[in-house]
Amino acid sequence: MQREGSPWRGLSVVYFRELFDHLTSVRMLVLQFLVVLLGGAVVYFAAEQIRNTTAEDPFLFLRLFAPPGQSLLSFVLVLSILVPILAIGLGFDAINGEYNRRTMSRILAQPIYRDALLFGKFLAGLSTIAIALVTLWLLVIGFGLLRLGVPPSGEEIGRLFIFLLVTIAYAGIWLALAVTFSVFFRSTATAALVALGLWLFLALLWPALAQMLGEVISPSDIRFAQLGLPTPDTLAWQQGLSRVSPGTLYGEAVVAMLNPDAQSMTTLLAQFQGRIGAPLPLDQSIMQAWPQMVSLIAGTILLYVIGYVAFQRQEVRA
Amino acid sequence: MRLFAALLSLVLLAAMPAVPAGAQDNSGVKGLFLLTDYPAVTVRPGTTTTINLRLRNYALPPERFTLTVGGVPQGWTVTVLGGGQPAGAAMVATNDSTTLQLRLDVPANAAMGTQNLTVSAKGQSTELSLPVAVTLAKDLPAKLALEPELPSLRGTAKSNFEYQLKIKNDSGRNLVVALAAQAPQNFETSFTEQYGSQELSSLPVEAGQSKTVKLKVRPPSTIGASRYPVSVKASAEDASADATVALEISGQPRLSMAGRDGVLSARAEAGKEASIPIVVTNTGTAAADEIELTSSAPSGWKISFEPKTIDRIAPGANKEVQALVTPPDKAIAGDYAPTFNAAARGETASTQFRVAVGVSTVWGAIGIGIIAIALLIMVGAVARFGRR
Repeated sequence: MQREGSPWRGLSVVYFRELFDHLTSVRMLVLQFLVVLLGGAVVYFAAEQIRNTTAEDPFLFLRLFAPPGQSLLSFVLVLSILVPILAIGLGFDAINGEYNRRTMSRILAQPIYRDALLFGKFLAGLSTIAIALVTLWLLVIGFGLLRLGVPPSGEEIGRLFIFLLVTIAYAGIWLALAVTFSVFFRSTATAALVALGLWLFLALLWPALAQMLGEVISPSDIRFAQLGLPTPDTLAWQQGLSRVSPGTLYGEAVVAMLNPDAQSMTTLLAQFQGRIGAPLPLDQSIMQAWPQMVSLIAGTILLYVIGYVAFQRQEVRA
Repeated sequence: MRLFAALLSLVLLAAMPAVPAGAQDNSGVKGLFLLTDYPAVTVRPGTTTTINLRLRNYALPPERFTLTVGGVPQGWTVTVLGGGQPAGAAMVATNDSTTLQLRLDVPANAAMGTQNLTVSAKGQSTELSLPVAVTLAKDLPAKLALEPELPSLRGTAKSNFEYQLKIKNDSGRNLVVALAAQAPQNFETSFTEQYGSQELSSLPVEAGQSKTVKLKVRPPSTIGASRYPVSVKASAEDASADATVALEISGQPRLSMAGRDGVLSARAEAGKEASIPIVVTNTGTAAADEIELTSSAPSGWKISFEPKTIDRIAPGANKEVQALVTPPDKAIAGDYAPTFNAAARGETASTQFRVAVGVSTVWGAIGIGIIAIALLIMVGAVARFGRR
């Protein structure tokens, strides 16, 4: 039976109700506390390191998020691990939780379409994460101002803002995945486990697996290996495969945004081409990270559409 | 023929005994002699002069001679010295000679004119006397000559010009010669030893001797093509000598390159040709001909010039060329530094440009397109699967 009228009717009701639930839930409080604690600790150490070692740096504020050198625990790394957990935690029981509480038919008995229900839940989850991330972002900047005593430049603000947007998009793709799984699996535990399992696989196993697969598909050339260089074809395959993982996409986009010196994935290639190690302007950094950003946003939309189609085709019984 | 042979033999006969006869003549001298090289000398009042004497004995037994000097004017001090000490008598062995000196201390107020002194040596059997005429006269005026060996040299504004100057002291005294050179403004001049690097301002030249010094002239590097004279003056006491040397400086082109208005950076897009204006300036003193433009850039870059060569740039003038730069298609965004070179004959200039390569914004549009497609899919799904 075809729908009549706007599919968005009732969206705001669902959205605000869900947002209220999320923000007042203990789960959210615990996750938020975790993020703030870990992020705060990491940024504190980063600030101490900057105060002790950095002499002069045009991008001092960015170093707060991505400290120079190979720092084991950077703010970005903490985010790339905690944001998926946060997103999965908010979305794994979006739909199947309603079934289990036997409230789905009751909600749908209201003048609320399924479109609005799903979209409202997704949007509320994303807004919750966005609120948490913006809060954290502002806290870090404020803390940086206090500890470093240097205001960020306009370009740094721009880069940090895009970094925030990319992080929200990264949260979006995991939220869409979790919501989709909550549509597919009736048990909340299964949905949570599958989503977390997939995350663990993509975050931990896939990078190593991509290296191996790339080697299998296009074996590295002995001539390059003797020079101690990666074979270009193999490298391209390995990079392409590893970009299946949203974590890799997020990491590359963040490096492009927070490291204007372009110590990015293309450094080795850039050296071959004779590029000078000068910082990239903001627009070129965006251009460099644009494919990754597009992938994150388009991936979010596509995962949501899959969940949406599946939800629309489901039978809802009381 | 016969006559000639007879003549020859006659000559030979005449010549043959002549040689031993001459030798015998030399050894035939017998007796005692008091000698001096210059029995008449000129002396300046107020100075001390030494006259060398020799007592010579040819084939006579040794004898003791008492030495005296006669005819000494009032106020003069005349001493006979032997071996550096005043000597009253001398003894000379057979076929030997004894060296003596006659020291004359002439007072400054002595009257001009010639005084005849007589040095006499009185022995037991012989009495020798040597008249010495001492003329008092004002000293000869000091006289210097300055002579450049190569008075005119040619070179560029960057060359070192080195002139060998011969300073001759034609006077009877040792002189300390002061050297000075006067060159056009901003020219650097210095005198050095002929073989050495020590710079000099004056040097002693003995009487009658000559010395060679080197004059180095370094023109300012911006000087134009012309002939520049440098006058050299050597002076001592009351004498001086002048000489003039010349530098013939030939002009030289000097090139410099920069962007228009001195800008050394440009923007380019990967895979697309960008045109960078470059100004080639000749700051030298001669025209630069046939200037070839070349470049060195990272691999994969295509750089050409429009025009490829410049025919001529007059001194002080400049010409603008366009460098057509094409970064490779797969260039990574960032700054690159290609170098542009200009080479005229023997003169080069190069400049490094900073070219900021950007990535085409086409990919940005494609990315937006992909997101739009994803949104369209969502709208389509909403329309297709929307239900009550």
